[in-house]
Amino acid sequence: MPLNIVVCIKQIIDPETPMSQFAIDPRTKRQAPGNNPLVISPYDANALEVAIQLKEKQGAKVTAISVGGATTTTALRSALSMGADEAILVNDPFLAGSDQRGIAHALAKTICKAGAYDLILTGCESGDWADRAVPAFLAEELEIGYVGYVTRIEVRDGQVIVRRVVEDGYELIEAKIPFLAAISSDETNTARYAKLRDIMTAAKKMIPVWKAADLGLDPERIGLGAARAAITDVYIPVKESKCEMIEGNTPEEKAATLAAKLRELKLI
Amino acid sequence: MTPMREVYWNIPGHLFLYLLFFPFLVVWAYGIYRHTRMILAGEPAAVLGSLWDRVKGVVQDAVWQRRIAKDPLSGLLHRSISWGFAVLFIATCLVALQDYFGIPTLRGQFYLYFMSLTVDLFGLAAVGGVLIALVRRYGFRLDRLLLPRLGWSYGILLGLLLIILVTGFLIEGLRIAATDDPWGRWSPGGWLASALFRGTDQAQQVFLHQVIWWSHAIVAFTFIALLPYGVGMHITSAAANVLLKNREGSGVLRPIDLDRAERFGAGAINRFTWKDLLDLEACTECGRCQAACPAWATGKPLTPKGVIIDLRDHMRLVYDGEESRKMVGGVITHDVLWACTTCGACHQECPVFIEPIPKIVEMRRHLVMEEADFPETMQAALRSLEERGHPFRGATASRTDWARGLDVKTVAANGTPEVLYWVGCAAAFDERNQQVAAAFTKLLQRAGVDFAILGEEERCTGDPARRIGNEYLFQMLARENIATLNGYGITKIVTTCPHCFNTIKNEYPKLGGSYEVVHHTQLLADLVHEGRLRPEKPIEGVASFHDPCYLGRHNGVYDPPRQVLGAIPGLAVKEMDRCRERGFCCGAGGGLMWLEEKIGKRVSWERTEEALALQPQVLASACPFCLIMFEDALKVKDAIGRTRPLDVAELMAQSVDI
Repeated sequence: MPLNIVVCIKQIIDPETPMSQFAIDPRTKRQAPGNNPLVISPYDANALEVAIQLKEKQGAKVTAISVGGATTTTALRSALSMGADEAILVNDPFLAGSDQRGIAHALAKTICKAGAYDLILTGCESGDWADRAVPAFLAEELEIGYVGYVTRIEVRDGQVIVRRVVEDGYELIEAKIPFLAAISSDETNTARYAKLRDIMTAAKKMIPVWKAADLGLDPERIGLGAARAAITDVYIPVKESKCEMIEGNTPEEKAATLAAKLRELKLI
Repeated sequence: MTPMREVYWNIPGHLFLYLLFFPFLVVWAYGIYRHTRMILAGEPAAVLGSLWDRVKGVVQDAVWQRRIAKDPLSGLLHRSISWGFAVLFIATCLVALQDYFGIPTLRGQFYLYFMSLTVDLFGLAAVGGVLIALVRRYGFRLDRLLLPRLGWSYGILLGLLLIILVTGFLIEGLRIAATDDPWGRWSPGGWLASALFRGTDQAQQVFLHQVIWWSHAIVAFTFIALLPYGVGMHITSAAANVLLKNREGSGVLRPIDLDRAERFGAGAINRFTWKDLLDLEACTECGRCQAACPAWATGKPLTPKGVIIDLRDHMRLVYDGEESRKMVGGVITHDVLWACTTCGACHQECPVFIEPIPKIVEMRRHLVMEEADFPETMQAALRSLEERGHPFRGATASRTDWARGLDVKTVAANGTPEVLYWVGCAAAFDERNQQVAAAFTKLLQRAGVDFAILGEEERCTGDPARRIGNEYLFQMLARENIATLNGYGITKIVTTCPHCFNTIKNEYPKLGGSYEVVHHTQLLADLVHEGRLRPEKPIEGVASFHDPCYLGRHNGVYDPPRQVLGAIPGLAVKEMDRCRERGFCCGAGGGLMWLEEKIGKRVSWERTEEALALQPQVLASACPFCLIMFEDALKVKDAIGRTRPLDVAELMAQSVDI
């Protein structure tokens, strides 16, 4: 039986947005998109790569899902061109402003509706807010096992063996499927460059769009109103730097002044 | 008495010659047929331009051999042999003319001055040419001939030529001796040979004459029959290649019709066009391309000659059904493909107009678009192009940050200017090159040029995508830019980047974008000439100018940057040995800016060392990529304090004191 793998991806504003183009929308208290490109959150791309490698190795059906606006189809198309078999977009205005729990709820319902699953992969954190909360909420709602910071996965006889990076090395963890792993990056899971033929095929694929009502989402859990925490303010920190020229007539004198200053600042 | 000689003296059965020739002719024709079929297995290609120009090209480069003679010794020996044999061949035909049509070619003044003296002198020149060729090939052991492997069949070719020439003179000598020819001295070669037989018995001479005459014919026929089976093929194929040469500039790559194409790039030999395949057959293995190749010079596995002859041998094996290797990754390795900077030195050098770059790019296209199997750093650059419209991953600047405080207008805000300054990604995102953009902007303002930039609407021209092999991405970016440019009705564009310059000028017209495009060095030269810029502040010291490949070789712009430098008081320009047409690449072209050079020496170090030998205070260039390469190399060589890498515009800005 081939595996059923679901990869949850998020489309975010390019994390490489240059400083001068970075602005905050005071209304949404989020980064204003401006003209900045939208990309797949980097760790989610690693998760896709892990899934596609498993597919190539032992056969699997890979489904990419995302909760987002209409622009998110481009992210899902990239996933299809990388090798995902199907993609589903959950796009509903009711979902706007949902907290991590709400997003996890929508993802969980989508996964259940999409059919049988053995492995759920997500990125270990999103490239914009980096809350790292959705994977855990999702595993909780699906009532399956979960490990974060996974870089490699093997599946053998209904068992999954994941490699989790820790500070001074890695751990190998065995678990039963179905299972959720939140993926971190290493040299084996850099997202692949899509072949042109696959990009062209992906461009022609249908991406179904599901609404909150299709999924039977609990209105108590989604949307801005259901969020348990509210963001009160977001601002760009102002970095101040001062430049002070060290005076002195001789290099020795300058060095002595510099040393005194550094001591004063408790830097040495 | 009228000077003359008897036609086919002492050869009563000479008509048998034609019967004898027939099997040799069949072998020759079969060889030609084989190669023609191999070549025609390629994809279609258009032959553009006027026939007259093409014929002129043949006279220039196949008959007069202008390019071959760029190496004087090669020119001497090749002209001696080829012209010598051409004259001998004509003379042989003229003999037949007298025999069958009674035209008196072997009588009178024509006989003495042409058939005897001239023909003999050409024959002697051919002997000299063959001897020089043998000594040069097997005695001098030139790298360009010897590596990566010595063409084996030249030995046979030259050997047969020598035998034909020597037996020819022996026949003439025997005839002179045996008939006691009173005009024998008019044939200096034959006269010399006749000395060998002086004093021998006449009957013996007559017998020997017959034996050698027939041997000479058989060797000559063998030579003709074998032509298509070895390097002799070049006599036909190289001439054909000169006739059918690509007349577009070397900086232009062939577009793919993406809507119709079923496959992208060349993953197999028959995916090349017939013209590409003719290129393979035309190679004489002279190795001039290899001697000029920056990759080969710095220890990379790429040699343009190697690529061409490896593909040619592969094509023949495929034709015979004896090839087990795949072409891309097998016959031509990835390391070879990713070593090419597309600098065009090989195109410049080839005497018969073979073009290695399109073959390399076709194979890259296969790797990139069909296989998605190419270096990760290049993947990152292309992904950045797709997502952000520029290839500089991790850039912290926006496209217009460099212009802050410079009062630069954008087209969107101020309308269509007289000249659009196409900034290019390097000048927008690379810190060092932002200074060049600023310097050039100030110069335009000083000269009162009405200009503006596209700002955030500008995208990469697509040059790196195209040269790395992603034609799809190139066309996407190009079409987007062309829509923007046409939307604003832009007519004139100036660029500080030779790559942008080349792509917009030469590659955009095919996609619907035709503009007058100038490089900033051209515009600056004009502004100085018109007196709108007055470089008055002296810059004391020596500057060496490095020709960017896409400005010089690919577009022939050599003088304007030198005119700008020459206008700066105090600055002395010293040329490197490898300059102008023979300029040596900085190592960053062809998308290699986004690949770490792991094999051999860095191309940029090689070039920087060449410049440093002149001990210049300034290493001047006119390309953002060259500048980045030289900054790095000069830092590594710990020479950045003594030799500053600067753009021509920066020097001009200093001299006009802004």
